[in-house]
Amino acid sequence: MATLKVTDLHVSVSDDEEKTQREILKGVNLTLNTGETHAIMGPNGTGKSTLSETIMGNPNYIVTKGDVTLDGESILGKPVDERARAGLFLAMQYPAEIKGITNAEFMRAAINARRPEDDPISIRAFLKELDKNIGVLNMSDEMTERYLNEGFSGGEKKRNEILQLMMIKPKFAILDEIDSGLDIDALQVVAKGVNEMASPDFGMLMITHYQRLLNYIHPDQVHVMMDGRIVKTGDFSLAQELEAKGYAGLRDELGLDVNLVDDDVPTGNGDE
Amino acid sequence: MNRMPKSATLELNPALLEAAKFDQEPQWFADLRQAAWDQAPDLALPDFAKINYRHWPLLDFAASGTANETVPAEIAAQQDEYNFVSVSNATVKLTLPADLAAQGVVFCDLATAVKEHGDLLQQYLLTKAIKADEDRLTAVNAALMTTGFFLYVPANVTIKAPISILQVQDSRQASNFVSHSVIVGGDNSNFQVLQRVTTVGEEKNPASLAVEVITLPGSHVKFSSLDSLGEQTHAYFNRRGHLERDSEIDWTMGVLNDGNTIADFDSDLKGAGSHAEVQTVAISTGKQTQGIDTSVTNYGKHSEGNILQRGVLLEKSALVFNGVGKIIHGAHGAQAQQENRILMLSPEARGDANPILLIDENDVIAGHAASVGRVDQGQMYYLMSRGLTKEVAQRLVILGFLGVVLSEIPVASVRDQMIAMIERKLINGQRAE
Repeated sequence: MATLKVTDLHVSVSDDEEKTQREILKGVNLTLNTGETHAIMGPNGTGKSTLSETIMGNPNYIVTKGDVTLDGESILGKPVDERARAGLFLAMQYPAEIKGITNAEFMRAAINARRPEDDPISIRAFLKELDKNIGVLNMSDEMTERYLNEGFSGGEKKRNEILQLMMIKPKFAILDEIDSGLDIDALQVVAKGVNEMASPDFGMLMITHYQRLLNYIHPDQVHVMMDGRIVKTGDFSLAQELEAKGYAGLRDELGLDVNLVDDDVPTGNGDE
Repeated sequence: MNRMPKSATLELNPALLEAAKFDQEPQWFADLRQAAWDQAPDLALPDFAKINYRHWPLLDFAASGTANETVPAEIAAQQDEYNFVSVSNATVKLTLPADLAAQGVVFCDLATAVKEHGDLLQQYLLTKAIKADEDRLTAVNAALMTTGFFLYVPANVTIKAPISILQVQDSRQASNFVSHSVIVGGDNSNFQVLQRVTTVGEEKNPASLAVEVITLPGSHVKFSSLDSLGEQTHAYFNRRGHLERDSEIDWTMGVLNDGNTIADFDSDLKGAGSHAEVQTVAISTGKQTQGIDTSVTNYGKHSEGNILQRGVLLEKSALVFNGVGKIIHGAHGAQAQQENRILMLSPEARGDANPILLIDENDVIAGHAASVGRVDQGQMYYLMSRGLTKEVAQRLVILGFLGVVLSEIPVASVRDQMIAMIERKLINGQRAE
């Protein structure tokens, strides 16, 4: 069993124009083991994406306090590529588009980055795996030969993130609002792909606004995040409770002094 | 501009001219050399905007030199892939399929062309595309040319397989590499040419290389080149197309030299409906400077010229793309588009992309785009988040950036060779940083 642990994490972003730093995460604690699925829910601007980007290693986010460990070892000093090779994966909300590199080429390079230099995956084994996974995700063969995310629709990009997840097979995956912009059919397909990943050697953290996703991918634990902290943790019933009461209802119940319409806080992977 | 530093002045050592002469040169050719030789000292060096190359030893020719007759092993190993191989001034391989010879195709080295195909060569050599008296560098090339090839494809002949040429600058010792080649596409002919130019040896030598491509009405020539001259070579390239009515040239050029380079890639769209596509990829590394002037001049009505250039800079290198689109008065319905983009990987590199449009006609469509930028950090983060190292991610982004040009290279083996060469340059450049 592997464990990803977030301890008292404080994270700031700097505003280049105003030369100031603003604290987004204000002490997050979270323990995720392989074999578990967790969901983080919360209103816009509470720091959900900041948490996922910080765990992955986006250089735009500055950790001011606390730690993130993988099997007891801190990963904060490691660049993003080392964290990825150590077993982390982030399905991004806004994947970059890169011209000139085909999807298939990219995925093969990503798989080979995890293998010894003199032992790359055979083209046959790669294509077999690719065929299987694009089948699960109802993607066309042609998608793999297109340039990486270039000209993909929102839904195609999300599917492509899950395809990469299935090809790379990390220990831990964070899915950052994988449900946003998906219609119900696409959501079911994406969920099917994610559920295929279920294994005692795989742990997952889903980030979402809506309970809808959790109807297709069942979490073991649900965390609610507000104003840079996890304010409540429970099982699937917490998500259902939220759906009924709304975030404001939960806030009032917990007696928190939090502004929920905090939409000037940056989210995403820094390029938005 | 009129002040010529000493190193750029041509020392009129008559031994150079004497040494360049072919055995038993016909009079017309000897006269052509002599005239160019006589004019050279009075002609100005050509202007390459934003490149100061005047102190480069482009004209420091070796007064004498003994030719090394042996063919280097690495060249001999590649020989099978080419129709024509020359090392310095010696032609070491020349093959022309019998069916092409039967159709009247002429393919030989310059010395042979002068002797055996004088009447034909004389019509095209320095008469239509390049003129000997344009500037000092064209004149010196004309006066001292000692190697090169002549390819003449008669009217209505289509050649499927590319005619491939490998020219080797022999820098195992002091030597002069002055090449002049002429390609003529007869009416409605259709063929592909690949020119590889490379260096063996480490000696510091100049190189002067000119190619004239003359396309007669209705012909279509695809010209690809891959230049990888040595670090110690100072190179001058001049590739020029002269396009007659409804003819087309598709140029794809990889400027991957290791040394300082100035290159002039021009297409003169003389005939109505003529069409040039010019695609260039260039990489500068180390401390080298490469300046590339790519120009298309629309003379003909409804002529069309498109320039697409991509350059990458590493370390302390410099790269300048000057894209010149000129539309001459009377070229109704002409089209001229260009896009020059440069990616800099090092803060110490210097890149420049200058579109220059000179339009003297109203009824035209012209446009340009240019950019000089750095590798997109969002793209890097994304690739690295999948486990790719910074170096591999960077190379992927760069190959992707160059991909729009690379994917257009018609010959797969050339494309693969070019990609391999680019990767090697990137790996070396990254290692140095």
